[in-house]
Amino acid sequence: MNEIKQIDDYLFRHATEADNLLFEARLILQPTLREKVLWQQRTYDIIRQYSRRKLKAEIETVHQQLFNEPEHHSFSRKIRAFFSSFDSAQD
Amino acid sequence: MGILYVKFESRKSPQVRKKKHNMFLPDFFFNFWVIFAFKPALINKAFSMAEMMVTEDVAAERKAFFMDLYQKAFPLVARYVSSMGGSFEEAKDVFQDALVIYYEKLTTAPIELQHSEKAYLLGIAKHLWARKNNSKQRHASLDDSLEGIAATENDPASSTEKLMELLNTAGQKCMELLRAFYYDKLPLHKISGLFGFSGTRSATVQKYKCLEKIRDTVKEKSLTYEDFLE
Repeated sequence: MNEIKQIDDYLFRHATEADNLLFEARLILQPTLREKVLWQQRTYDIIRQYSRRKLKAEIETVHQQLFNEPEHHSFSRKIRAFFSSFDSAQD
Repeated sequence: MGILYVKFESRKSPQVRKKKHNMFLPDFFFNFWVIFAFKPALINKAFSMAEMMVTEDVAAERKAFFMDLYQKAFPLVARYVSSMGGSFEEAKDVFQDALVIYYEKLTTAPIELQHSEKAYLLGIAKHLWARKNNSKQRHASLDDSLEGIAATENDPASSTEKLMELLNTAGQKCMELLRAFYYDKLPLHKISGLFGFSGTRSATVQKYKCLEKIRDTVKEKSLTYEDFLE
């Protein structure tokens, strides 16, 4: 766990200058550590993708609410009107 | 909504106020103005008092935040896209991507808006629209140009899709925790409360445990899915 924290600190630049230098030296000396850093980077990338999808799903819920619930009827009609000559209002 | 002005005023009786005053804080603490950048999750590390003024439910807050932006800014974006010959669906896609970009900007650093929020969102949307249409294939994904912001038609057979599916089921608890830390960038004490940890220390421990677990999964599955290194 200590190592995962060190990698985290290194990648997000939370470490001190001295710790960074030390870590970089270890990276040169330890191929397994290098590999772990790469997988951790890939993991952050996956977390971001996962989170964006969840966020987009939340936004889509808002969209559906605005375009399907009667209380927002005037809003959706206003928007649909912009497109009435281009495509029939379907969602 | 770029900047939120909050006035904290003690509503307690003078007696209680005096007592508090004697115990902890100088008087101005009970009546002062604070200006802070508004974040989507309405969190500001420096002012824990501010949290008393917001609802506890982070997801509900976020929903209200997007609902407000949708109503304020989508008409502008829809009108623009329509004037450029785009469809309702295209306007929706562009606008939703703009919301994601805006959200990510807010979580990364407070933004000082030169104009209104809706003007800002329209600006992002115009930019996205231009990119989308400047590329030769009009319906190409925005994926590469925007670091994968657009959720495009995902190839269900790809390694990333398989991994996502797995993480959505088996690893969801950890993924939600990691999302709160790394994407929503909520402060530790908020996360502790949300996920029911005893304190910030145990939240931190759990974060690293989850990170390690997911890293192992990512590695294992990526090596299994042959197309990973393609």
